[in-house]
Amino acid sequence: MYGFEALTFNVHGGYLEAIVRGYRSGLLTAADYNNLCQCETLDDVKMHLSATEYGPYLQNEPSPLHTTTIVEKCTLKLVDEYKHMLCQATEPLSTFLEYITYGYMIDNVVLIVTGTLHERDVQELLEKCHPLGMFDSIATLAVAQNMRELYRLVLVDTPLAPYFSECITSEDLDDMNIEIMRNTLYKAYLEDFYNFCQKLGGATAEIMSDLLAFEADRRAVNITINSIGTELTRDDRRKLYSNFGLLYPYGHEELAICEDIDQVRGVMEKYPPYQSIFAKISYGESQMLDKAFYEEEVKRLCLAFEQQFHYAVFFAYMRLSEQEIRNLMWISECVAQNQKSRIHDSVVFIF
Amino acid sequence: MSGQSQRLNVVPTVTMLGVMKARLVGATRGHALLKKKSDALTVQFRQILKKIISTKESMGDVMRNSSFALTEAKYVAGDNIKHVVLESVKSASLRVRSRQDNVAGVKLPRFEHFTDHSAGDAKSDLTGLARGGQQVQSCRTAYVKAIEVLVELASLQTSFLTLDEAIKTTNRRVNALENVVKPRLENTITYIKGELDELEREDFFRLKKIQGYKKREIERREQDAKKYADNIPLKTGISMNSAHNLIFVGAEKDDDIIF
Repeated sequence: MYGFEALTFNVHGGYLEAIVRGYRSGLLTAADYNNLCQCETLDDVKMHLSATEYGPYLQNEPSPLHTTTIVEKCTLKLVDEYKHMLCQATEPLSTFLEYITYGYMIDNVVLIVTGTLHERDVQELLEKCHPLGMFDSIATLAVAQNMRELYRLVLVDTPLAPYFSECITSEDLDDMNIEIMRNTLYKAYLEDFYNFCQKLGGATAEIMSDLLAFEADRRAVNITINSIGTELTRDDRRKLYSNFGLLYPYGHEELAICEDIDQVRGVMEKYPPYQSIFAKISYGESQMLDKAFYEEEVKRLCLAFEQQFHYAVFFAYMRLSEQEIRNLMWISECVAQNQKSRIHDSVVFIF
Repeated sequence: MSGQSQRLNVVPTVTMLGVMKARLVGATRGHALLKKKSDALTVQFRQILKKIISTKESMGDVMRNSSFALTEAKYVAGDNIKHVVLESVKSASLRVRSRQDNVAGVKLPRFEHFTDHSAGDAKSDLTGLARGGQQVQSCRTAYVKAIEVLVELASLQTSFLTLDEAIKTTNRRVNALENVVKPRLENTITYIKGELDELEREDFFRLKKIQGYKKREIERREQDAKKYADNIPLKTGISMNSAHNLIFVGAEKDDDIIF
């Protein structure tokens, strides 16, 4: 029942909502980012980070610090927080939290399948997987020789099983482009998540559908732009767009026939929320588009925290942490490569 | 160097002199040619050095840009992008092959890169389809440029090293000819000439001596012959004096004999 969550939410979700709001207040602020942007070396970065929530994770690192180490440790922090929340959660919050990680799981599965296809070592591949997307039988993915076996042996027990039905129909999935497979899976995942949130109802459904719609639309635009000039046909492109969102269905029709960035811009400007994004980038330039999308996403995620008694705060927190880790990676790379002038190009301030 | 201006041990004959002279001429010509080669190589060397300096500077810039392009790609497409790309590659599509260039007689290795289209880079066009595809492509172009610069730098540096070796060898030969071989040959020629002169003098001396002997021998004979002519009386006649008296005194009038 919409409106009456205040009565019952705290029974099961109150503790975790408090926890996640506590985590949210530990995110780096603009002042922190300013300090970090002033750093000259990676050791300075480490020193500044030790004053933040990332302190305990970075303090044991030996001195010639590498940017990948910083990113790894920060991701570790995110994983720890997530695990803590997951083990305290009950239904349906636990399912919700698990849904958040299916995206990473898809990436990991695709990575291992590709690697196996090219005969790489399983252990190396496992190390390269994202920690949030690990599941128990992931190592057995390397054993399967083709997709049917893969599905039958491994994937059918994972939560990703239903997503594979769409792409499993063709027998020789090895030839099918890995990216197309990844995007088909992701599309199915988004739709599934969307339906799940609708079922939850209430504020969760409202806020999550807004966030997921933005995600779907953004993916549609990216797919369109990135497939201009490649051998991806219009029908294939059409198949990769999700079945919900502001652009569905008419926007998708128009996007599918776009051959050029300016045409895409023309399509997007018909939708007021996206007009502002496209206004930020000048004609013919699409490099800033990704950053503009990230900024818009962050804005919407922050708005999610304004309401109480819903699950979208968890989703928002995970996404915001991701963005923070991206910012940290960007800052450390700029500092390490001595490109301080470019540092403000891509840092998205969260607050 | 000990024995710097030694000479070769040869028999000092005229033939040998001819041989040595021929060798000296050969050595001189060789020396001139090698010096020319050394100069040509040095000119090339300087040019390559200049090119190396400028290429290294541009390499610094290019590498920086390409690392930054990678950072941008990682930012937009997620940190895993490098694993994704790495795992989906079967074989390199950008390869390097080497060939030999001939510069002033020195074989220099040259590297050039070429794209192996059969390695199927069409698949990777769709990397980062949902996000970051553009950055991945721009990262790829940046790195291709970096590879071009690196390949050029590699061939320049190997040429540099090879040329350096060649120049050292050539200079060594030039110096050897100039400071060892030619002086030796010249000394040998001088020695041979000296020996020949001495032989000639000896011969001359011998000749003169023998002439002297012969002359004395002749003089002695003459004297001996004179003495002999004086002392031996005529066997059938009287001495010359008496014979003279006979003729001339007897030729004076005798009294006629009358009966």
